[in-house]
Amino acid sequence: MSEVRTLIVDDSSVMRKIVERSLRQAGLDPLVVYEAGNGAEGLDLLKAKQVDLILSDINMPSMDGLEFLRQIRAQNLAPGVPVVMITTESSEEHVKQAILAGALGYIRKPFTAEQVKERVLPLLKAA
Amino acid sequence: MLLNGARGAALLRVRGGGATEMEHTMPVSLRESVQLVSDPRNLDASVEEVFQLMLGVDCRRGEEFSLNERESVTAVVGFGGLLSGACVFKSGAKTAIEIAARMTGMEFSEIDDTVKDGIGEICNMLAGSWKGRVPDLAANCGLSVPAVITGRDYHLHVQAPEFKLNHTYRFDDASFEVTIICDGLQ
Repeated sequence: MSEVRTLIVDDSSVMRKIVERSLRQAGLDPLVVYEAGNGAEGLDLLKAKQVDLILSDINMPSMDGLEFLRQIRAQNLAPGVPVVMITTESSEEHVKQAILAGALGYIRKPFTAEQVKERVLPLLKAA
Repeated sequence: MLLNGARGAALLRVRGGGATEMEHTMPVSLRESVQLVSDPRNLDASVEEVFQLMLGVDCRRGEEFSLNERESVTAVVGFGGLLSGACVFKSGAKTAIEIAARMTGMEFSEIDDTVKDGIGEICNMLAGSWKGRVPDLAANCGLSVPAVITGRDYHLHVQAPEFKLNHTYRFDDASFEVTIICDGLQ
């Protein structure tokens, strides 16, 4: 697999590391990771870097994950790049909101590396 | 510390079928399902799930929590919406460091920002997993971002909750306490 440039957006640095480790365990190697602590930082990174995959939390200070998704679409940033939400919010309503905002995948915390692999790899192959 | 969550009117918006897709609102109440919400097995299942998936350890209910260390870590994630209250995680410094080490694969000698961050995330996942076990709660109750308190000789006081679950858990030599406090239920 060629280099996968991934943006991980989560207010927890520990979760960003766990998500990165899960991606490597899923076989995404070589992997280039850009990290952002909230949606606003994520938007700034997308203006400066090209990415192949975006993984984002929902509950974050400053700009949450759903608004981040809406802004990606509104500003036409990262067109065609798959976005997967990784969050503790698991209700149908949250999933629906995320899909309406443009997410292609949804992973509930806590998660396993296998779940990350199952949700992310097909999206990368289809992109 | 007093915990007073938001008690805004929670309405479930239901989209009706048919050509006109008329939208109406239906009030949802958890009052009638208080036994389901306060079922202690939900908290046990959430703790077991989070610790198995994120740390790879089997967590079991333990005896009454006793803190043998002076320094402790407390993480709080607030609930708002149909249920207001909080999920509170508390452990001694050694257990907090052990949990963060297993989460990250790193070694820690003290409670630094990474340890606090890891414990906050554990509390966040416990809160999310717990509320996710009751569908109406999952859909109509939001979570705050975690707050983490560290220090010695402090107490968390909650005034007259509607209900409270307070369990101690163990894995290996580590023990910690998880408390669900409900101070308002609609």
